[in-house]
Amino acid sequence: MADSTNKDVEKNVSRRDLLKVGAAILGATGLTQLFSLNSLQVRGKEIPDEGGRKWGMLIDINKCIGCNYCTYACQAVNNLADDMLYNVVTAEETQSGEEYFLSRPCMQCAEAPCVHVCPVEATYYRPDGIVEMNYDRCIGCRYCQVACPYGARVFNWKDPIELSPKSPDFGVAEVENRPRGVVEKCHFCSHRIDRGLEYGLTPGVDREATPACVVVCPTGARVFGDLNDVESPVSKAREEAIVTLRLREELSTEPRVYYIPPTTKKTGPFAGEGES
Amino acid sequence: MLPDIHCPTIKLGKRSIVVFPYWIGLLILGLLFGLVGAFIVLRDGLHVTGLSNAIPWGLWISIDLSAIAMGGSAFVFGVIVYILRIKRFEAIGKLAVLLGFLGYSTAGMVLLFDLGRPLRFWHPVVYWQPHSLLWEVTMCVVLYLSVLMAELLPIVLEHPLFKTHPWLTRYKALGSLMERAHSFAHSLHKAGPVLAVAGLTLSLLHQASLGATYSVLAGRGIWFNQSAPVQFVFSAMSGGIALLFITSVFVFRVMRPGTVSDSAIYDVARLTGGITLLLTYLRVWDWAVTNYYSFDREVFLQTQILDTIAPYSLTFWLGQALLPVIAGSVLLAAKSIKNFRYLMLAAVIPILAAIITRWNYNFAGLIASISYDPFTPGIILNSYTPTWVEFSVGTLVICYWLLAFSLAARYLPFSSGHDHH
Repeated sequence: MADSTNKDVEKNVSRRDLLKVGAAILGATGLTQLFSLNSLQVRGKEIPDEGGRKWGMLIDINKCIGCNYCTYACQAVNNLADDMLYNVVTAEETQSGEEYFLSRPCMQCAEAPCVHVCPVEATYYRPDGIVEMNYDRCIGCRYCQVACPYGARVFNWKDPIELSPKSPDFGVAEVENRPRGVVEKCHFCSHRIDRGLEYGLTPGVDREATPACVVVCPTGARVFGDLNDVESPVSKAREEAIVTLRLREELSTEPRVYYIPPTTKKTGPFAGEGES
Repeated sequence: MLPDIHCPTIKLGKRSIVVFPYWIGLLILGLLFGLVGAFIVLRDGLHVTGLSNAIPWGLWISIDLSAIAMGGSAFVFGVIVYILRIKRFEAIGKLAVLLGFLGYSTAGMVLLFDLGRPLRFWHPVVYWQPHSLLWEVTMCVVLYLSVLMAELLPIVLEHPLFKTHPWLTRYKALGSLMERAHSFAHSLHKAGPVLAVAGLTLSLLHQASLGATYSVLAGRGIWFNQSAPVQFVFSAMSGGIALLFITSVFVFRVMRPGTVSDSAIYDVARLTGGITLLLTYLRVWDWAVTNYYSFDREVFLQTQILDTIAPYSLTFWLGQALLPVIAGSVLLAAKSIKNFRYLMLAAVIPILAAIITRWNYNFAGLIASISYDPFTPGIILNSYTPTWVEFSVGTLVICYWLLAFSLAARYLPFSSGHDHH
């Protein structure tokens, strides 16, 4: 008798417990849904476009001959070892099978995934749109590398080198060495831009104030300047170009590097070649 | 009082050997091996790993994700014991707190090695970037570890060593220190419900944001997935509670028989069974949504290329769908099966499923990454082989987990007696 009553009690308790746990799980599900929806709407702090300078680049794929000088100049100026590449030149194909060279600096996105994900704000937008690194703050978690759709970020796996192998042929180191264990990236040679502006030079026009890759390019495939200034070389070139495109535009990262796609405008040193 | 603790023995001929000291010795050897790797990586930097700019997250992050999943029972049982006040789970709840602490501290430890600048690990706490999922993850880990420590301290201080050791009377300072510690622990214990709510919030936030860490990255195709946060929460609950079931059988039935009723342990199995089935349901729907009801060229190509180099789809169908359904059903029927061997065998599967889910998630988007080529975009197949240093540090943290667990299982009083208040 007593035994069966006990059993009943235990059963009841157990059922109530089950209900409690069930309700708790349902509540938990609701909470996770709430949190996950919120976290999916992640957007970093945006600096309003004040109509000030916004540095941008235009790369004419038709003019690029794949010489890699942009990469080498970048390595010399930023004092990079051979396996550290801010800028990459690759051979690609159009859908019709035509080969071309695609050179890729950092896109300096207006909606940069790397800025959104950095846990310590070590990477940030400068007011002029350049996405720059605070190397003293970076913890080396490499989330930005994972987030960047362009693979534009490089991690300092090793200790910095004394002298880049590309120096002095392609230039000399112009910026401080970064310590081992931080992520670094192309910064449109912001040190040149800042210094140049101090001396009243115009980035994109005066060599000293223009990114090294743009200056070194033997075919003038790269054009630099202020996207908000209609008189800047980059704005003029964009005006002239029939079509421009940006890489992976479907991701809404709003890159500030534009490309003139192959065959739409044949003005390079090999213009007309291969055409019959 | 410390209950009688039975240590497992092995029969060798006529002798029966207590395994414990040999097991601890083995773990210490593992720790020493791990310390070598840890020293090398801290001295030479991360280039001693197999990681690259294409695959910046590897073995360690996968261990980190898995360790955090293994701590998933702590917040569930915090709620069950402190908020729902279901008394018969009190002792199991203490074990869950221990597992939570071990999981999170293991994860924190392995993350420390994974940072390029380990000495700046505190930066997220000072330099806030609340839009970053990783910032949120870090903050939650830091805060939740504190909560877990607050929950664990009273359990550790229950040990008679801290109450009746002769030194406590011989050295007055030590005695008064202990008294203060006990009153602190007592107030911590009274704050149990508050800690449980904090733990639940932080843990849910954190497990969900771990999934979101990957799923907000639109540029990675296969990672860009709305349900990843929910899946991460449920895989932590299913795997974490399955581990709690196995360890409960070990700690309470084998080592402290009579402390916890069998029916309470069966209930743990039923809980993990139910959650495993729920998780599998979610997983299968997620598969259907991403692969059947919608077509994304990039995801399709990524899956295809992953299948050519690894049993990627197979691990889903077998490891995350079929076997968990069987194991979940078996565990749910624990009260009719009443066989701890079978149930423990079944409970291994949710643990493996949680680990596979997270390993696949971590590697899928990196191994098969999407190129930025504007006209003929394709999938780039990256490769990554962990070096011995990575395995060594992995051994270090896993041995830490096992050693701390073994010592706790051997020496901590997991008694449920709190009748004095």
